[in-house]
Amino acid sequence: MDIPAIVQTLQASGPAEWMRTSVKAMPIVEAAHVLAAATVFGTIFIVDLRLLGVRDRSRAFTRVSLEMLRYTWAAFALAVITGGLMFVANASTYWVNTAFQFKMLGLLLAGLNMMVFQHITARDVRSWDTAHRAPTAARVAGALSILLWLAVIFLARWIGFTKGYNFDVPDDPGINFEF
Amino acid sequence: MNEFAQWLHATAFSQWIQVTTWVIPLLQSIHIVMIGVVFISSLMITLRVLGHMRADEPFAAVWHRFAPWMWGGLVVMAVTGALLIVGEPPREFGALSFWIKMALVLVAVLLTTFLGSLLKHAPHDAASPLRGPARPAAYVLVVLWIAIIFLGRAIAYDIEVWGGLSLHA
Repeated sequence: MDIPAIVQTLQASGPAEWMRTSVKAMPIVEAAHVLAAATVFGTIFIVDLRLLGVRDRSRAFTRVSLEMLRYTWAAFALAVITGGLMFVANASTYWVNTAFQFKMLGLLLAGLNMMVFQHITARDVRSWDTAHRAPTAARVAGALSILLWLAVIFLARWIGFTKGYNFDVPDDPGINFEF
Repeated sequence: MNEFAQWLHATAFSQWIQVTTWVIPLLQSIHIVMIGVVFISSLMITLRVLGHMRADEPFAAVWHRFAPWMWGGLVVMAVTGALLIVGEPPREFGALSFWIKMALVLVAVLLTTFLGSLLKHAPHDAASPLRGPARPAAYVLVVLWIAIIFLGRAIAYDIEVWGGLSLHA
């Protein structure tokens, strides 16, 4: 798989060009990304606080989790779409940016943490669903989740300060960046 | 205001924020994390008003669960926001988005205070949706927070967003 070629193709795509040339596309897409990220973090944070036994102890864990997750997934979908648009606009710059790479690693770890919790830790959720104190593994998952999402947000903001906006025409003459 | 911005920009503290590379990204990150806390806490309260969230719990219980996080988050946002202003006064004061955002934050705080005042009248049993002016207030509040988030990001793009209306123009 020729990743540099894929990155270049993405950067030369229609949506990428729209992001670079439309005056209002970047602020609107970035704002929607902030809204989506805030919603993902805010809703997951409520579930994590329940796991940690900090809040909502008298409400069943699965209930809190089910109430929040539809908002989390809807917001995550919006974050992927808006994040994707921001990525393709300057794909080659993002791809080599260290903060971006660590952010993706953070997202991957947050996903893994969620999967381990869902498929292993929460298998016996019925036995502790209404308990005020969740098992240690569940509380660790909650704490890890908070830390990983905080790291993702911090790294995401760091990208904007380390990559700059690359509006230069790349050296590769095969791509037409005239707009 | 322009003179004030220039004076603030020249203070030693502002200079320190400007030259210390990690301060502004850190402040902005904390600000964004708090958007998550404040927006979602407020959303839980407004959804409860409308009967779409925790309708089995009394309004007072939902208010007491989320309001402290919302107010606490707002205080952190005010502090980080104020520090961001000190770091880049002309960027903020020259942005039309900044002033509209501040006005909308004020309205949002007043509307939230109004929802909190309903506690005195809210039934203490597990109740369904609230009635009366609380419902339109809840809808307006959700729209206000979303507008505030968009305007916050738009501060960095004031001329692109507002054109000739931008105070930078």
